Amino acid sequence: MWYGLWYNIAMDRRLKRLLDLLDSDGDDTVGTSVRLPANLRDAAALAAELGLSASTTELTVRGLRDALEAFAQRAVLDAHYRANPHARPDLAEVALAAAEIDASPLARRRDLIARAAKEIAAIRVDPSPDDVLLYAAGLASAVA
Amino acid sequence: MSPARTVVLDNEAVQALIDPAHRKHRRVCAVVEAVAARNQRRAGTVRLVVPTAVRVEAGWDKRASKSTPVNRLRTDDMPLDSATADRGAAIRAVLAVSIADAHVGAVLESTEGPHAVITSDVKDMERIAAHIGVSVAVVRV
Repeated sequence: MWYGLWYNIAMDRRLKRLLDLLDSDGDDTVGTSVRLPANLRDAAALAAELGLSASTTELTVRGLRDALEAFAQRAVLDAHYRANPHARPDLAEVALAAAEIDASPLARRRDLIARAAKEIAAIRVDPSPDDVLLYAAGLASAVA
Repeated sequence: MSPARTVVLDNEAVQALIDPAHRKHRRVCAVVEAVAARNQRRAGTVRLVVPTAVRVEAGWDKRASKSTPVNRLRTDDMPLDSATADRGAAIRAVLAVSIADAHVGAVLESTEGPHAVITSDVKDMERIAAHIGVSVAVVRV
């Protein structure tokens, strides 16, 4: 138990540090050596030549930030739910929200989304909200 | 129908998000989860944004407690800079909406679509979207 408590506090400190770093201005730069797959390096150089991006560095930084922001969001949400377990929506609620923000017709079929969320959990490990919507779309076309 | 790229939180959505006791808190968490799930699968797919005028109206001071997780959620502040103020003023002059709503409209004009707005004010948001000619999924919080 004490080990678990210590572990959680340590995680929280590291998460806070991660968030502070992501929120800081980031004007300082540092040279670093990163091994890139050759095909990605060449594709990035071509993208810059085509005017699709400023440079390989810009693409690398953007990709790194987007990935870190996604990890951070997941960690912050999990920390929030540890403090407020009642706030955690279930898979059907999240899938419904996904349908609504996409203006999907499925947003009007809460019954199908609820059924899909229940059934997909039996056949797929850790299904995503979009997996539920795909399954619900299949149910909708089957009953049409 | 294409997946949303920018999700804008309006006043009541922000109020519900920052207050775990709010009756719609879990509902807004579901929206944040939907965005987070897409970004987990493919980073940078969807932006969750809050116009700063909305943040003022909703009373979200992120400095209040930096150790409270909800204050560290990864939402992008959309500032009311000069260009956005011009757009917002033009919307407000025609539609007589609130400053915060006009700022939402200006953000819709200047960010990547498809858009969704999470709001309790569906009618005004639909008016704004029609006025600026942007297709928006207006989602009732």
